[in-house]
Amino acid sequence: MPVEVIMPKVDMDMASGRIAVWHVEAGARVEKSEALFDIETDKAAMEVESPASGTLHHVIAEAGSEVAIGQPVAWIYADGEAVGPRPDGTAGGTNDDHGPQASASDDGMSGKARPPAPSSPEEPAKRTPEPAPSGVGSALPAALSHAVPPRGTLPRATPKARRLARDNGLEIAAIDGNGPRGRIQAGDVARHLEALSRPETASAAPLHWSPEAGPLSVLRSGKGDKTPIVLLHGFASDGASWAPLLASLPTGHPVYRIELPSHGRSPRRRIASFAELVRDMRQAFDGLGLQQAHLVGHSLGGAVAAALADTRARRIASLTLFNPAGLGPEINGPALAGIARATRAESLAPWLKLLPADEETITSNYVRSVMLARADPALRAAQADLAGHLFPDGVQAFSIAAALDRIELPTRIIWGKRDRIIPWSHALRAPGRISLNLFENAGHLPHIELAGQIGILFADMK
Amino acid sequence: MNMDAGTLARPEQETRELSYAEAIREAMDIALAADERVVLMGEDIGVYGGAFQVTGDLVHKYGTDRVIDTPISELGGAGVAVGAAMTGLRPIFEFQFSDFATLAMEQIVNQAAKVRYMLGGAVSVPVVMRMPAGSGTGAAAQHSQSLEAWFAHVPGLKVVQPSTPEDAKGLLLAALEDPDPVLIFEHKLLYKMKGEVPAGHYLTPIGKAAIRRKGTDLTIVATSIMVHKALEAAQTLAGEGIEAEVVDLRTIRPIDRETVLGSVRKTSRLLCVYEGVKTLGIGAEISAMVAESDAFDYLDAPIVRLGGAECPIPYNPDLERAAVPQVPDILQAARALAGERV
Amino acid sequence: MPDLLPENTPFAIARYTPDELKAALRKMYLIRKFEEGAEESYTRGLIHGTMHLSIGQEASAVGACMALGDADKITSTHRGHGHCVAKGADVSRMFAEFFGKESGYCRGRGGSMHIADVEKGNLGANGIVGGGLPIAVGAALSAKRLGTGAVTVCFFGDGANNEGAFHEALNMAAIWKLPVVFVCENNKYGMSTSTERSTAVRRIATRADAYAMPGVTVDGNDFSAVSEAMDAAVARARAGEGPSLVESMTYRWRGHSKSDRNRYRSKEEIADWMARDPITRMADMLVEHGIATREEIAGLEAGADREIAEAIEFAKTGENPKVAEVTRDVYTEAVQ
Repeated sequence: MPVEVIMPKVDMDMASGRIAVWHVEAGARVEKSEALFDIETDKAAMEVESPASGTLHHVIAEAGSEVAIGQPVAWIYADGEAVGPRPDGTAGGTNDDHGPQASASDDGMSGKARPPAPSSPEEPAKRTPEPAPSGVGSALPAALSHAVPPRGTLPRATPKARRLARDNGLEIAAIDGNGPRGRIQAGDVARHLEALSRPETASAAPLHWSPEAGPLSVLRSGKGDKTPIVLLHGFASDGASWAPLLASLPTGHPVYRIELPSHGRSPRRRIASFAELVRDMRQAFDGLGLQQAHLVGHSLGGAVAAALADTRARRIASLTLFNPAGLGPEINGPALAGIARATRAESLAPWLKLLPADEETITSNYVRSVMLARADPALRAAQADLAGHLFPDGVQAFSIAAALDRIELPTRIIWGKRDRIIPWSHALRAPGRISLNLFENAGHLPHIELAGQIGILFADMK
Repeated sequence: MNMDAGTLARPEQETRELSYAEAIREAMDIALAADERVVLMGEDIGVYGGAFQVTGDLVHKYGTDRVIDTPISELGGAGVAVGAAMTGLRPIFEFQFSDFATLAMEQIVNQAAKVRYMLGGAVSVPVVMRMPAGSGTGAAAQHSQSLEAWFAHVPGLKVVQPSTPEDAKGLLLAALEDPDPVLIFEHKLLYKMKGEVPAGHYLTPIGKAAIRRKGTDLTIVATSIMVHKALEAAQTLAGEGIEAEVVDLRTIRPIDRETVLGSVRKTSRLLCVYEGVKTLGIGAEISAMVAESDAFDYLDAPIVRLGGAECPIPYNPDLERAAVPQVPDILQAARALAGERV
Repeated sequence: MPDLLPENTPFAIARYTPDELKAALRKMYLIRKFEEGAEESYTRGLIHGTMHLSIGQEASAVGACMALGDADKITSTHRGHGHCVAKGADVSRMFAEFFGKESGYCRGRGGSMHIADVEKGNLGANGIVGGGLPIAVGAALSAKRLGTGAVTVCFFGDGANNEGAFHEALNMAAIWKLPVVFVCENNKYGMSTSTERSTAVRRIATRADAYAMPGVTVDGNDFSAVSEAMDAAVARARAGEGPSLVESMTYRWRGHSKSDRNRYRSKEEIADWMARDPITRMADMLVEHGIATREEIAGLEAGADREIAEAIEFAKTGENPKVAEVTRDVYTEAVQ
């Protein structure tokens, strides 16, 4: 019998997962525990290992498809085993046989990804749909028919907010909640509607830029046969921002600076979520073809680095995060918006001055050079669009907490305690086995402000 | 203050300032003078004038045949009033304290409330029972309760809670014209409260709430003395930019659904304030009523109830105050609710 | 006319006309047949709830109502079928009520325990022991205040005489001198508990002393004795002299209710009381005093049988109440 490969449940409240990419093609050989495919949930992305050695067949869930947990996505045939029809007896089709989504249950699984259980008896491949309710429903007041939200994980929202959303044809999940514990209230819906009615908003892209295809830009420097270092810059920055640190890094390491989409010389992209951003960056990282790398990220790049490490643990030797995003909701929204929006040095300078601990380090020359790099309106618009999705209403809408919980490789967080963009206290939310280096006299840019001192931390890097 | 009291007073009716107790007495005086069938019954309501001096000197005007001192026999007395109501009289029975109605539960709940139904509508029981209720007098656990929700649970009874002298008179006169048993819960601390009261005969409709203050930011549904506490809180809140709408329920059975739901649809926030014990009280009914109706879809915050503490009314004055909602409690709850505005 | 009768002529023979007496016997038969018909219907599954039968107590019910007119009131008990018939109710509408029909006295809402006929002055049976006592006093208060001249007869059992309502009601009736007669039908048992075990006094009538009213105990199975005591008590009430207490010693042949297994009384005791059948005694009395022949009496019994048979037919064919009207009559005008 071929071994069934299923969409594993890797998160407590996970109902389904999206297959991001297959690492093994149908018909190809795979070894047990080798990376088989990547999945993305609304919380995390991770690599799923092959449950058996053999040849992969019947890949019924292609990359990009959403699959309910416990459902088969492919089968692995042992060497010499004859490949017959699909073992689940269903003919053809790839995405059309999704079973009902299983409801979440607390099975104590959190943190580490569970290896996909081959043909686990507790997780039947097919689940019988729940029978429709009997006539009881017809006796319910009419008001109830639309008041009962469908089962499953839904955002917290007040009845009034739900009604307003319903009346205006909006998906409640698309609206950001600012009430207690993130509850969506009527005002949130009203703001959302208002934003939609404005022809141009901070998050809406102007007409004069269009998304571009092509690989992300990678700047290469450094030579040697030591483990390469991969650097990921932060939001509204670019690969050049690593220049001060480069001088302080130990020699002998090839250095790769990947530029975020819509940043530096990378193509302008429409990216609607953190997961999409990570996907794009992962492709670029995979494209480097590195067996091992030290991964270093700053701010948003730090969050991306953590997410990458979560899915590429095998190929990451160490992880260093400067002032990483994704450890709490607070972020200086006005500063992000201000930098993204600024069209001239005068409007950019006040925001840039918030970045370091000592604003004197931001010289007018520096401001001008940054503005020059941001001269392209399409780049600014694309970044504003990205900010709207990642930091809606000035809130960090994504989290790397779960990823950090899972990561077991050597990890260090470096933070300047006078950070005015992201509170340094977010660092305290990282798990205890992650090393923490706090600098009293640095702000949001310790790798620039204190490049010399920071370099020492990398001295023993192999 | 009576913005939407819904009274049926003729506009040209002159008003005078009377206390709540005086207004009730005036209503009884008018009824005794107008209708031979009306009798007052109760303990010490004759020459003593009633424990709270509500009947006052009516016995001197109408005699002991119509202002009848009963023995201390709550069950028997209430039952006599029920039997008399079934057979042609219009008795107004005063419980000295509403707490003592527990002694008469049989006659109120098994008889007065059910006779009409059990007999297929062949008879009705137009009895009026007056219930001095509420805490704040230092009379402790057996003389301070607010048991109105118990009675409002019983189909067949009507239960009203006037909060003003005008309504105290209008609701009593309306109760006398009602063919069914009506229980009037009068708050003892309100007896001395003064207010404008129309002269002569008028009716305050049973089953109709009054909006005492208009507002847009939250609805406070209150009963009896809590209406005044809610209004005091609303004034403070207005200074903070929070406009509370105060609904005086006035009748708790049958409840004026439309006024409550209409207000909640407008403000999207609901705070219920009542003196009876919070759990399974009037607030639970109001909350459920809103949650079951289309007004649910207008709620923009969880419903909040402020009711009596889960204990008997204590004696110590600090404890006694702490056992029922006070203005600061209402302020705190209202601010929290309004603070959820986004 | 009374002075032409022999000295030991029973009160009833002297007081009532032959037609009144035959009508009284007919009512006693009607009660007996009604109860038997109800029992039979219950056994056949035609009746929904339980019932409390008054077979053996017919003289008490009919005798107590002899002095009353339609304007007078009664309040009754859970064992109230007999009182209802005695006060002039139509057995067809009574059966219809038992069968839960819209054509019943309570339109199917009350059943056996709340049977009433307000037009004939029956304010209703009562499911609460002692529940009717204060109400009867209230009805008497109305009569006095409104000057209607009506008297209220308040039926209750030996069980009720230990309820607080009994004492409160008797006291108030006495202090206000109200036109009410309290009739305690002492059938020896409050459910299973005998009066010897439940009641401190040997004769319940002596409790009248505590409330400064006359109290008499009579043989409740003797129609004449009951009617005599009631005649005096009703006259006293009508004259404005206040209430009385009449204790009518009688016996229910059947159990307390249909669920009674009769474990608290002996076969001998029951047989002894059945030998004192109030109907037989009434019939014998009428024959003895030349009021009616055996043939006439057989005719009365047959007539009662027919009336009951017709009443059951009427009840069976009646309309059931509409389910949609379940909340009708909670209030005079419907409220939400």
